[in-house]
Amino acid sequence: MIRRYLFASLLACCLVSSAGATGYGCARAYSLALHEHGLLYTMATDTGIDKDVADELIRRSGCKVIVNVMPRARIWQLIESGALDFSLSGITNPEREKFASFAWYFSNKYYLLVRKDSGVGTHADFERNARLQLGVIRSFRYSESANRLVDSLYQANRVSQAGGLEPLYQALMLNHIQGMIIEPFDYPALDEKRIREASSIIAFNDPPVLHGLIMSKTALSPEEQERWRALLSEMRKDGTIRRIFEKYFKPEMAMNMVNFPGGK
Amino acid sequence: MSIPHAFQMSRLSRLLPWIVLAVTLSVTWLLWKHESRTSRKEVRAQFDFALRDTVSRVEQRVAAHEQMLRGLQGLFATTGLKNRAAFRDYVETLQLDANFSGVQIIGLVDRVPGTQKKAHEAVMRGLGVVNYAVYPEGDREFYTPIIQREPQLGRNWLPPGLDIWANPDRRMAMERARDSGQAAITAKVRLAIDKKPEAQPGFIMYLPVYAHGQSRDTVAQRRSHLIGWIYAAFYVEDFMASLYGTSLPGVVLDIYDGAEPTANALMYSVGNRSELARHDGLHANEYMVVAGRTWTLSLHSLREFDERYGRNVAGLIAATGFILSLSLALLSWFMVTGRERALRLAAGMTEELRHMAQHDPLTGLPNRALFSDRLGNELARAKRNDGHFGLIFVDLDRFKPINDSFGHAVGDLLLRQVAQRMKETVRASDTVGRIGGDEFVVLMPMLADAEAARLLAEKLRQAIARPFVLDGRELTISCSLGVALYPDDGQDEITLAKSADEAMYQAKQSGRNRVWLAS
Repeated sequence: MIRRYLFASLLACCLVSSAGATGYGCARAYSLALHEHGLLYTMATDTGIDKDVADELIRRSGCKVIVNVMPRARIWQLIESGALDFSLSGITNPEREKFASFAWYFSNKYYLLVRKDSGVGTHADFERNARLQLGVIRSFRYSESANRLVDSLYQANRVSQAGGLEPLYQALMLNHIQGMIIEPFDYPALDEKRIREASSIIAFNDPPVLHGLIMSKTALSPEEQERWRALLSEMRKDGTIRRIFEKYFKPEMAMNMVNFPGGK
Repeated sequence: MSIPHAFQMSRLSRLLPWIVLAVTLSVTWLLWKHESRTSRKEVRAQFDFALRDTVSRVEQRVAAHEQMLRGLQGLFATTGLKNRAAFRDYVETLQLDANFSGVQIIGLVDRVPGTQKKAHEAVMRGLGVVNYAVYPEGDREFYTPIIQREPQLGRNWLPPGLDIWANPDRRMAMERARDSGQAAITAKVRLAIDKKPEAQPGFIMYLPVYAHGQSRDTVAQRRSHLIGWIYAAFYVEDFMASLYGTSLPGVVLDIYDGAEPTANALMYSVGNRSELARHDGLHANEYMVVAGRTWTLSLHSLREFDERYGRNVAGLIAATGFILSLSLALLSWFMVTGRERALRLAAGMTEELRHMAQHDPLTGLPNRALFSDRLGNELARAKRNDGHFGLIFVDLDRFKPINDSFGHAVGDLLLRQVAQRMKETVRASDTVGRIGGDEFVVLMPMLADAEAARLLAEKLRQAIARPFVLDGRELTISCSLGVALYPDDGQDEITLAKSADEAMYQAKQSGRNRVWLAS
């Protein structure tokens, strides 16, 4: 028994030192930004999936990482300029590919949350009714059909932007907007009786969209990016990511989100 | 090319100007629409930029103030809250920086357990704060007195020791800051230093200060290791005035506290609101999150904005295109109809010449040539059908004395009126012609017998015998008529004419003003 314990301690020691030896390019302190968004991160409690993933990345890398909270739009600006190294739960598009690379660790679908009294049964209903306003978070992109809906409404001056999710729920309840696009992280708000009673959910018929660690191509060399990607991949393989998601979702839902085909 | 073919072509080409007009107007409309859309897009893009830029400037300013408070946070985390001189120096330094001109007060809140209130008051008095006491009075589980405010200018001065926990707006922000470890701002509040009769909208930003070296990874840890707060108080007006960059002209910007834009929640408004009703411009709301608090930015564009950023050439394109379309259509009309109009003119002139060649210019009656032609036709027809027709020679009696007495003008007038009366008297199928000065002929096709011819000739005689009024003068004239019948009085044109002429001569000889039948 004691021998087994010693062996385990020794192994742990070796693993830690091996992580330190391989190094994750801790030549400098890194910066990582979180944004408030449902289960991803809640500033009031300083908790969330992104926070847990960030803590684990920092712990495993052994690097000093300064963590800040800022609006998503600001995060993308800073990632592009190279003033910020990392953020979490990002999705890609051709524009972002130019300045950011990603390490995927989960995927999810998008949904249109609409007021019941808006008489909307499909996305097309929403698009057709010129009186309906859609609320979106500035700089957010979604799945293909959702993006198409947002872009079309935007051209028609029917989109209200917000710096976060909470004001959108308030605007929805005040009937200033009649719909918003949500993800599974936004479900807890639906537990609120008044929101649940006043709204209904319409799924976008798109495949789940990959989300991942956002790395600034300006700030991080391709080698560094690869090392962080490998680190995240380890976290997926050893079940750490799944366990983090299971803290916030039912096991089946968590499994659906973290098991995606083709993720590197 | 034959004339009918040419006319057919011209009917087709008559559509060409309309086609040109339709096409050019369509092109104008398309261009106008494209330009309008592009212009609207341009205005829309500028408007979006204005909104994004305003949001960004507010966020940057809030972040700058948060950084400033973080400096203080670091100072107190290491020196403790009671380092009054260091705090004063720090704020004094900031005051030199115009960047922080929007800040009214920077303050320090101590967190004092209920049991340590007396000791806390003693310490503060020991530090030189004369008569220091926590107020309002009363026993509480803990106290959150403001122990220092800087700068201590006259207008900002309030006795230290005010416990602000009882104020719900301030307490909620302080709790949020304490639990998250991040900056938190209040709802729209009236600042304690605001002594004006009407409240100026303000807000306060809090940052927590935790005991140095203590863990603060969880909410519980943060709550238990909190030692106080630092805060900065702002008037919204001054805060907005201190934003980086310049604000855009031609917009109305309203900022509301919370997601509901009500009059009570209005914190800031700039722009000429009276113009809003007169201009249907762009409008957008943005719900920005400022240090955990929602502010609604409501932006309206005014005419000035739309005119400045809209390219405004759509109207010019429409007007120019319309004029060009009309000009082109007109030009093509001239080109297409030029040949047609020339042909029509030639045809008209030909017809006129033909008429002139066959008619008597004075009376408009068929002349000898045309009459002869019709007589020939009737002759042929009568021969073919074994029909009858009559020919009357009419000669005015004593016309020459009228001409001599009253002049040729009156004579001509008389001839015209005689011709008119003859035309009115004969049947529609008959032809009246003038073959000499006062000599007329009448062709009467399809006659039954000589009596019918005589009756018609008699009607003519009576018609001419009625007085004429010429230039207000009444004149009477008679005529002698000789009637010849086909086939009895002749079977060709010459014989028939001769017979009629002789009959007319006989009438003259018999005393004039009568009808004489050739047989």
